[in-house]
Amino acid sequence: MPLNGTTTVSLVGVGGQGILLGAAILAETASFAGLQVKASEVKGMAQRGGSVLSTVRFGARVWSPVGPRADVVIATELLEGIRGLALLRPQGTMVCATSTRVTPGSVLRREEEYPDDLAGEARRRRVRLVEVDAEGLARAAGTSRAVNVALLGAASAVLPFDPHHWRAGLEAVLPDRILEVNLRAFELGRAVVPTREVES
Amino acid sequence: MERQLFFSGNEAIAHGAVRAGAGFACGYPGTPSSEIVETTARLKGIRSQWCVNEKVALETAVGASLAGVRSMVTMKHVGLNVAADPFMTLSLTGVNAGLVVVSADDPGMHSSQNEQDNRAFAKFAKVPMLEPADSQEAYDFMAEAFSLSEEFDTPVLLRTTTRVSHGRGQVLPRVPVDVPRREYARDISKYVMVPQFARLRNRLVLERLEKLRRRAEQSPLNVLEAGTSDFGIIASGVAYTYAREAFPKAWFLKLGMSHPLPCAKVVRLYEQVSRVAVVEELDPFFEEQVRALGLPVVGKAAIPWDGELDQEVVFRALEPYLLRKPPRRRRPVLPPAPRSTDPPKPAPGLPVRPPVLCPGCSHRSVFSALRRRRLAPMGDIGCYTLGALPPLLAMDSCLCMGASIGMMAGFNVALGEKAAVGVIGDSTFFHSGVTPLIDAVYNGVEGMVVILDNRTTAMTGHQGHPGSGLRPDREQGPSVDIQRLCEGIGVRCVTVDATDHAALDAAVAEEAGAPGLGVIVALAPCVLTSREKAGEVVVDEDRCNLCGLCLDLGCPSIAPGDDAVSILETCTGCGLCVEVCRRGALSLVEAGSCP
Repeated sequence: MPLNGTTTVSLVGVGGQGILLGAAILAETASFAGLQVKASEVKGMAQRGGSVLSTVRFGARVWSPVGPRADVVIATELLEGIRGLALLRPQGTMVCATSTRVTPGSVLRREEEYPDDLAGEARRRRVRLVEVDAEGLARAAGTSRAVNVALLGAASAVLPFDPHHWRAGLEAVLPDRILEVNLRAFELGRAVVPTREVES
Repeated sequence: MERQLFFSGNEAIAHGAVRAGAGFACGYPGTPSSEIVETTARLKGIRSQWCVNEKVALETAVGASLAGVRSMVTMKHVGLNVAADPFMTLSLTGVNAGLVVVSADDPGMHSSQNEQDNRAFAKFAKVPMLEPADSQEAYDFMAEAFSLSEEFDTPVLLRTTTRVSHGRGQVLPRVPVDVPRREYARDISKYVMVPQFARLRNRLVLERLEKLRRRAEQSPLNVLEAGTSDFGIIASGVAYTYAREAFPKAWFLKLGMSHPLPCAKVVRLYEQVSRVAVVEELDPFFEEQVRALGLPVVGKAAIPWDGELDQEVVFRALEPYLLRKPPRRRRPVLPPAPRSTDPPKPAPGLPVRPPVLCPGCSHRSVFSALRRRRLAPMGDIGCYTLGALPPLLAMDSCLCMGASIGMMAGFNVALGEKAAVGVIGDSTFFHSGVTPLIDAVYNGVEGMVVILDNRTTAMTGHQGHPGSGLRPDREQGPSVDIQRLCEGIGVRCVTVDATDHAALDAAVAEEAGAPGLGVIVALAPCVLTSREKAGEVVVDEDRCNLCGLCLDLGCPSIAPGDDAVSILETCTGCGLCVEVCRRGALSLVEAGSCP
């Protein structure tokens, strides 16, 4: 389905993981890059431990704030990453914090099992996978809360923005007191090399 | 000779409801509807109530219907605006025992501030509508209305106008309908309209609409009446009677079940005659639907939109049309059955992640206390609605903002005991919980209301409300004291610290056993706003036998292990699990003290 050159990025995770903040940074970055941006999120349950999805779309002319398939999905949690594969178009890119697990109640109660075969599922769906130890990177940068920004850094390799766009986006959204630590997390993320290319 | 009764339409509705086995009638007075409840109040076998407003009246009738009693609620047209919130979602939940909403419209505004056409509400809510034309039909249609309501699991709108409600005519009484009482069965996915369940119900509503359309095609209430002229008229209600007298030789499609429109019957009328008119007061409700079939029709081009019609108005409007050449017509196109979206496909094998009550949430202790008393909690809208989901299963219903107390009242009135409890948050209480509490006092309801007072509008992002006094700019304004408000109404009310589980449990136990009506304010600030750790819960692994009592609290901070439960770091130390544990396996080490 041609979507007029518009790029769609979806951020998925669990309430409280900074999904909305990450989406705001991405939207500002695209805006600084001179693109039209539209975004949408479902946030009613954001603080009650439910799944959270936020979508950012950018391009020369963007009509709709949502799209049926994402070019890139950024996941702040492993299970939500596996769930988020369904949002990706074929050959799209999944950037996932694979070392972060937030166990849902049904798994705690042993009614369901926490899945872990993200790589296999990504291969089956023919999408590109970037596995990131985002929590490790964030901690190395100085705060475990910067998982979202470390992932943006890793995703920046496949997104069409220059470093100064990203910097402007981060500065526009983040308060000064946490800016430095987040800039470090972003750079550590940016250095991550994709672990798996799409197999043809 | 058998004596015939001579009833107004409203009296006929009241007698028709009792004949149909209705055991509960309520409403708010409003011309031209008021005499219905005044009449049922004089009849045996039915409990009648004036409610504080139409919204509370409908919610009370819903409670009685859930309890298993056929129920009727009456109001004037503008009253349905007030009751629109429960009405729209009641279409999704459906009913237990039959429920009929009587809306008496007032074309011409004899006694009203507007003359809105409430037939639009039937279409809006996707529910069936009956329109009697005289007192006999008003009487007879009630049985059909209750039977449709139960067969199709839907509220039924019975719409009259001033001339039907206040017009009088002979009524031949009929044999009473034998209605077995329906047992109440808790059904959370039917009665708790959180998004995941409402989406499923919505699909059933669309399927129901199509089934109702097929029923309207077969219904004996929709009659194709043969005439001797080449002219057909589609009409319902009192407008039908005007048209019948103005054009005695015409063919008629007389609509008694007027929503959904029986389109095939409309087409059959067009097969008989070359000219067709719609005669209706107020909006072009049928006319637009007939035009949508691609059929030429005269209606509001000739007939006034506003005010009442009469025989002369109808005759003068349509006479010139009969002299004209019949319009050319194409083949009618019947409307397609409604389509719904593809059903949601959960990713196979992936655990779901529903939103849950937060660790340490004070609502959990209220639900835990209620659960022990076997009360049916009529719920409301807010974070606490999450308590309806497994494993807590702490809420039997969630219809709309403020519905809990009215539904509790109707449920308890119908069963004659304190079987249900109303559970409502502080912000929702201020939104629309005060009026049903006043209503419950006035109507002498036996019941209990628990107000979950976390001092904020938590679900939507901690906005202020009259109880907190916080304004959107975070300025502190005056605040309203819930306990004093309740006492002012005349309700027994206690405020309990919701973090004191034993005290809360004792208050619930006491109130459950007390006669009359009482309110418990379970007070504790939302844990998301305080975020203070009260202590650490320690597990004695030798004593824990994984019985599951603490796990049934649905706390996201408790996980079962191989030999014992474990407490996660998200635990706030609220201590509810310590309270419910019967083996002394859990203990609370309070913050600041050394373990």
